[in-house]
Amino acid sequence: MSGLGLLRGVAFFGALALLPYGVGAPWILNLLIFTLMYAGLASAWNLLGGYAGYPSLGHAAFFGLGAYAIAIVFEDSVGNGYLPFFLLPLIGVGAALVSVPIGWIAMRTRADVFAIVTITLLFITQTLAFNLRSITDGAQGKAVAVPPFPVDTYGWPFYYAMLTLLAVAMGVSFYFRRSKIGLSLAAVRADEDKAHGVGVRVTGVKLIAFALSVGITAMIGGVWAYYLGFVYPQFAVDPLLTIGMVLMTFLGGRATLWGPVIGAFILVPAQQTFAYHFGASQVYLLAYAAIFLIIMLVLPRGILPTITDRLRHRNKRGPGGQQRAAASPVGNPVQAAGMIDELRAAER
Amino acid sequence: MRGLAEGTRTLKLLATAAAATLLLASAAAAGEAPLKVGISLSLTGDFADPGKAAKRGYELWAADVNKRGGVLGRQVEVKIVDDTSSPDQVVTNYQNLITQDKVDIVFGPFSSLLTIPAARVAKRYGYSFIEPAGGGPKVFAQHLDNLFFVQPAPVVKGGDVFAKYILSLPEDQRPKTAAYAKLDDPFAAPIADFVKDQFEAAGIKTVYDQTYPAESADLTPIIAGVAAADPDVVVSGTQSLDAFAQVKAMIQLKFNPKWLFMSNGANSPTEFPDKVGAKNTEGIFTSGDWYPASPVAGSKAFIDAYIGMYGGDASGIDSTSAEAYSAGMLLEQVAGKTGAVDNATVIKTLHSGSWHTLVGDLSWDADGAPQGEYLLTEWIGGQLITVFPPEVAQHAPVAPKPNWAE
Amino acid sequence: MHALVQAVILGVLTGGVYALMASGQTLIFGIMKVVNLAQAALVILASYLTFSLFTLTGLDPFLSILITTPMLFVIGAAIQWALLRPLNSDEVSQLSLLVTFAVALGIEGLLAMAYNTTFRSIQPGYENFSWTVLGYQVNMVRFYAFLLSLVMLGLLYLIMQRTKFGWAIRATVQNPMSAQLLGVNSKMVAAFGFGLGAATAAASGAVFGLISPFNPGSHYDLISRLLTIVVLGGLGSIGGSIIAALIMGVGGSIIAALLSPIWSDFAFFVVLLLVLLFRPRGLFGPRMRGAI
Repeated sequence: MSGLGLLRGVAFFGALALLPYGVGAPWILNLLIFTLMYAGLASAWNLLGGYAGYPSLGHAAFFGLGAYAIAIVFEDSVGNGYLPFFLLPLIGVGAALVSVPIGWIAMRTRADVFAIVTITLLFITQTLAFNLRSITDGAQGKAVAVPPFPVDTYGWPFYYAMLTLLAVAMGVSFYFRRSKIGLSLAAVRADEDKAHGVGVRVTGVKLIAFALSVGITAMIGGVWAYYLGFVYPQFAVDPLLTIGMVLMTFLGGRATLWGPVIGAFILVPAQQTFAYHFGASQVYLLAYAAIFLIIMLVLPRGILPTITDRLRHRNKRGPGGQQRAAASPVGNPVQAAGMIDELRAAER
Repeated sequence: MRGLAEGTRTLKLLATAAAATLLLASAAAAGEAPLKVGISLSLTGDFADPGKAAKRGYELWAADVNKRGGVLGRQVEVKIVDDTSSPDQVVTNYQNLITQDKVDIVFGPFSSLLTIPAARVAKRYGYSFIEPAGGGPKVFAQHLDNLFFVQPAPVVKGGDVFAKYILSLPEDQRPKTAAYAKLDDPFAAPIADFVKDQFEAAGIKTVYDQTYPAESADLTPIIAGVAAADPDVVVSGTQSLDAFAQVKAMIQLKFNPKWLFMSNGANSPTEFPDKVGAKNTEGIFTSGDWYPASPVAGSKAFIDAYIGMYGGDASGIDSTSAEAYSAGMLLEQVAGKTGAVDNATVIKTLHSGSWHTLVGDLSWDADGAPQGEYLLTEWIGGQLITVFPPEVAQHAPVAPKPNWAE
Repeated sequence: MHALVQAVILGVLTGGVYALMASGQTLIFGIMKVVNLAQAALVILASYLTFSLFTLTGLDPFLSILITTPMLFVIGAAIQWALLRPLNSDEVSQLSLLVTFAVALGIEGLLAMAYNTTFRSIQPGYENFSWTVLGYQVNMVRFYAFLLSLVMLGLLYLIMQRTKFGWAIRATVQNPMSAQLLGVNSKMVAAFGFGLGAATAAASGAVFGLISPFNPGSHYDLISRLLTIVVLGGLGSIGGSIIAALIMGVGGSIIAALLSPIWSDFAFFVVLLLVLLFRPRGLFGPRMRGAI
């Protein structure tokens, strides 16, 4: 699988990297910037919500942290325009460090309680963004200086920044799937107590997943703030942002490499084009709800796992179908449960 | 004599030239492409209501101007798209309007929080940005020379005219104490703060000053605090829903100040009486730019056209519709004056002179902040009436405020 | 001092209204372990039904509860039957979050089509009436709402403890397998339980419509409040959610009076976070899945 997988990755990123040279229209690039942003966010969320099975609803808090970091540092000047991008790694590391104590406390709870603890965290962060006026300017919002990029290629730096961050998120995801960390996370997701019992360093791997997940999220938040040029608390720390991340991951397939990307590439263009062309009628909300429900009822595990399952079934009947059966170590919970024994063998 | 002949010849020449231009213009009109105007509004989501009122204003203007033969002979085509009250979507929409649909002109979005991101996209492409919604301090702090706010003054000055009225009273009739209850919003709280600065400078003591967050559905605890401080005047920096909630809470707590000023929400001619009860509006001050009884030239014609197109009656017309209509009027006047509607001309032309609109005569500073003043209005006999400044007042201010009806 | 006492009175009455809203949420969680994100949308739906009944027929909002309650029961049961029942039971808690969120969006969309997004309010003429008691103001609607929530909660208790249906629910909660062996149709129980939870939204909707203006998007603010109340009280514990609602109402009111309204919700969220970290089942909840 690694040969084919690598090829797929190179083709995907190669095509996207060359795309601005072929497509001149700024509106298409703009649409892609938002699509890549959500693909990156969903992939980052997947690291924690997918692989570790911790359904965080608070990621927007870290997105806002990154957004405000950029807005606070670059309110007056962005130099040649590229400075903010160089600050991003620092923002990522900073957010990851901040997240360690938070994650350590929050991940003492699980499942529903964890979801609610994290969404509470989101509301607290939003309130702080509103109330700490000396730092954030509160409800007035904070501006980022305008970069001196030429009109025709204005979107390019943002596009490549989003693309790079998506590559980072997918790179981590790819690594998770091939390493002991991924195996440990699968064990945690299947049965945390049992995983703990067999000697998996549960707290350690959970914190790694949490820190990487929110670090990437914060960096994407930084690029977003720079691209929009203005940050308000209710938009930077927005529950709907988290919902978007979760939905796209669920649509594409949790704990898969490509699932979150597929989810984002379907939903974001659909949503933005739909609102642009048909938004004037209230049908918009209804259509959104309907799509949502259909996914949950027809494809509860997401597009990618459903399709791979179908293919696998067909292959099993056909000749040479067996070899791909264990292709995905963290494909579904039932499979993952069996991982614990495998893991125990690996420990010895 | 010679001079006269010279003069006549010049006149003749001019007349010929004018006739030729007219001919050319009408010839062009026949084959000329329509003038496309793109606007993103919040038609779903939190800001959907003002969004729809703005839509009616824009569409009415387009219909009117087309009846008059269009702008420079070009029929106006308005393209309105929805931004679902989301900043990402508003950026996408202006990006699409300008680079995909290639509209000739864009107007600002209708929810004020989306103004800055949208204005930046317009600025990037050299588009003028006439916008009727976003007038907070940060909007003008962007120093965008393409932006023109279509209201009489920056939003912070919404209460300025009330402060002027209070301070115009003889010393012994002025309030001694004041309370400020304001919504944490860039377009609400600053209004009350601006009044507070002036009141304090004039020696009116602040006995209560609190900001409340947008999610507070229930404002009774805040009004209980105001009531306990028992001020002579209450200045509320409100948006809409919170204005209704404040009034309800005051009635429930049986608290009736001598003067009550509310910035927004209370200036809505239909919603406010509908939500708080028509009788309870009596004596509440607010400020505004346009209202059905406005004496501004053209207002009557606007009302008739509005009713002709949408039905209903004058009291159902939101000021937002008038503001949107005014944005169109500006464009029309620029075209009339310069014979061009390209963006560079619009930007350059609007920066000088004074322009007539439904919200008064407007002129702007370099950042797009209008230089005029709002009118102080008061609910008298179930109607919004201008009471200050005296030269335009239709009625003397009624104070102290009569007690609540219930 | 006067302001403080007035704040407490207001807080208790407001808490009562939220307790009523939260009871349905708690009931649904207690029976099905489903966090119903559509509960607030159902409340708003009920507010609109009450509004229509009042404007069309002049029916008193408190009386219209008798009509709207069965309507919401049917709606709730239908939602459960059509959308929640088919979910895979392994992942029901995560998937149901998303499904009920979609239901909330759908209800919002329908209401926006039917009524536009204008704010509405129900005004029978007495909505702002207050009694003056020892110099303090007691709002009549909120007081009745408080009484109503006590009555509703009492009714819920009776249904749960004294009827065959309640017995079936309790048996299903304790052990679905043996309940089924005893002849309980657990699918029916789930649908009826969800319906019952939704039915409580009828009364809360009427009260909410009297207290504050609403539009189709009002459910977002409400649901975050309901969730925090229900979680603080302990998911599934009706008594717990009443106490949590009172803590939210009174605490918020006092902080608004003494410190500033901008910190009211913040303080509540911090309390909630602390409680969850040290006692994940909430103040009075049974030990639940996901706890430490």
